[in-house]
Amino acid sequence: MESTFARSPAVTVLLLAVALVWISPFAWLVITAFDPQANGQLGGAHGVGLDNFLAAVSGSSGQQFINSMIISIGTATLTVLIATAAAYPLSRIDIPGKNVLLWSLVLLRMMPEVGVIVPVFFAAKTVQGLNAQGMIVSMTVLNIPFALLLLKNFFDSVPIELEESAYIEGASLWQIVWYVVVPLSRSGLAVVWFFTFTGAWNAFLLPLIFARTDTAFPMSVGLYAAFGQYGSIQYGFLAAYSIVYAFPAVVVYFLLRRNLNTGFAGVGVKG
Amino acid sequence: MRQSPWLAAARGPMLIAMLPAAVCILATVALSAWAIFYSFTNVELTGARSINWSFIGFDNYVRLFTREGFLNSLWVTFVFTFFSAIVGQSVVGFTLAVTLRGTRSLLRNIVEVAVMLGWLLPDIVAAFMWNATTSKTGLINSFILNPLGVGPVDLISNYALTVVVVANIWKGTAWSYLLFSAALDSISREILEAARVDGATPFQRIRLVILPMLRSHIATNLLLITIWTFGYFALIFALTGGGPGRQTEVLSILMFHTSFNVGKLGFGSAIAIAMMLLVGVLAVFYLRQLKEPK
Repeated sequence: MESTFARSPAVTVLLLAVALVWISPFAWLVITAFDPQANGQLGGAHGVGLDNFLAAVSGSSGQQFINSMIISIGTATLTVLIATAAAYPLSRIDIPGKNVLLWSLVLLRMMPEVGVIVPVFFAAKTVQGLNAQGMIVSMTVLNIPFALLLLKNFFDSVPIELEESAYIEGASLWQIVWYVVVPLSRSGLAVVWFFTFTGAWNAFLLPLIFARTDTAFPMSVGLYAAFGQYGSIQYGFLAAYSIVYAFPAVVVYFLLRRNLNTGFAGVGVKG
Repeated sequence: MRQSPWLAAARGPMLIAMLPAAVCILATVALSAWAIFYSFTNVELTGARSINWSFIGFDNYVRLFTREGFLNSLWVTFVFTFFSAIVGQSVVGFTLAVTLRGTRSLLRNIVEVAVMLGWLLPDIVAAFMWNATTSKTGLINSFILNPLGVGPVDLISNYALTVVVVANIWKGTAWSYLLFSAALDSISREILEAARVDGATPFQRIRLVILPMLRSHIATNLLLITIWTFGYFALIFALTGGGPGRQTEVLSILMFHTSFNVGKLGFGSAIAIAMMLLVGVLAVFYLRQLKEPK
């Protein structure tokens, strides 16, 4: 196949160099994580062992992993439920002002989180919600515009004819949704779920102001606090912790790689 | 849209199903209104003014321009966004996409996975990695500077903004790469083939064929990454905390410091509203771009 550039050895070498530059900080991270005596100095590992990983999954670090899981699974599930319930009608029925609504969702989705962080903090504080539940609710609220757009666009691509014939066969609305729409939309729902999951898993700003004690931290804040605290002393532990923390997001991506494309930025409106 | 009989029957329950989402969206709007409200007060996080606050009109907005912090942060944000997103991510992403176009080789997979790693690793992991990479004993000093005979340099203390920009290019290039890759796939091979047969050099093909055809994709991408980079917080905050001094204090960090460390929530809210307005302007451009027939 004809490429824009002729395949030349020089281009290949250059591309490999780019890949090497991109991977090298990560390679350092992996090597350090398996080195029980890592101190940030390069020049060969001091040994190979899993001590760092054991430290990264025990005690309050282990608790932080669980916190992140609870917060991310909770946020993703709640977001998908609420967004699906609205996205499907939005895709199927005429609602006055629908286009205005969709465009304002695009606008909302682009607003930086920093913009509403003070009111979110106060709202949560007022209802004693500076905890995991509060984080789940706040992140869900902030995620809805994004999830709603993605799912609405997705449902638009599911043919309505099947639902019509189910209706003629005498199926109720609930039966149509449960036996026709959901099975057809499984992949779309999964993608949105995992997207929200990774978003919540990586979230930092909100947990930073919501979680006060290190047993309440999710991993993002846990890692941030740990490297402020230990600095260069505990590179091994920090590297292992980083890998444990990064693992779910990376795995999810490679599992879903085929289903993902840039259309999933949720920044457009179709029809 | 065509209205089926069954949809007419299901209208009621469907409207009810939309309520929770409607509540969430209204809550977001209410939160924004609340931020606007706060920006006209002198409310603080702790102390007497956390209870006995009062309206001070546009004082907070005047302060944006009379105090040093905001204008400095606006400039830092501009530099950060321009060099990391517009120059870095999109140019590197575009170059990679063009170079790798049409290859289904191992090479392409290697480069894609490498670049995607930056995108996939959580912000704080990236921050820790770049902190270590740029430290006195880190990769850059050990493999590049020391062999060149330059003594160990504490890069974060001396070149903080550059480090942050490089880290963000590393982190975000994958997005532009994926977008441009998908866009390039939509250009039919015949057109490029025709240009080649007519004797266009690779660079002429890029400049005269590919760039004009991808104009709307490029504009879309630039606006999106500008908006995202503009409000970016976690990576910079965890990497430098805005320092040293105020060298990397982008607007989001200034807003966070002012609100939660200094405790001046009113002033912090004014910074937040100013950011929202700036993003709003960019977003309107973006929406117009989307609506234009391509």
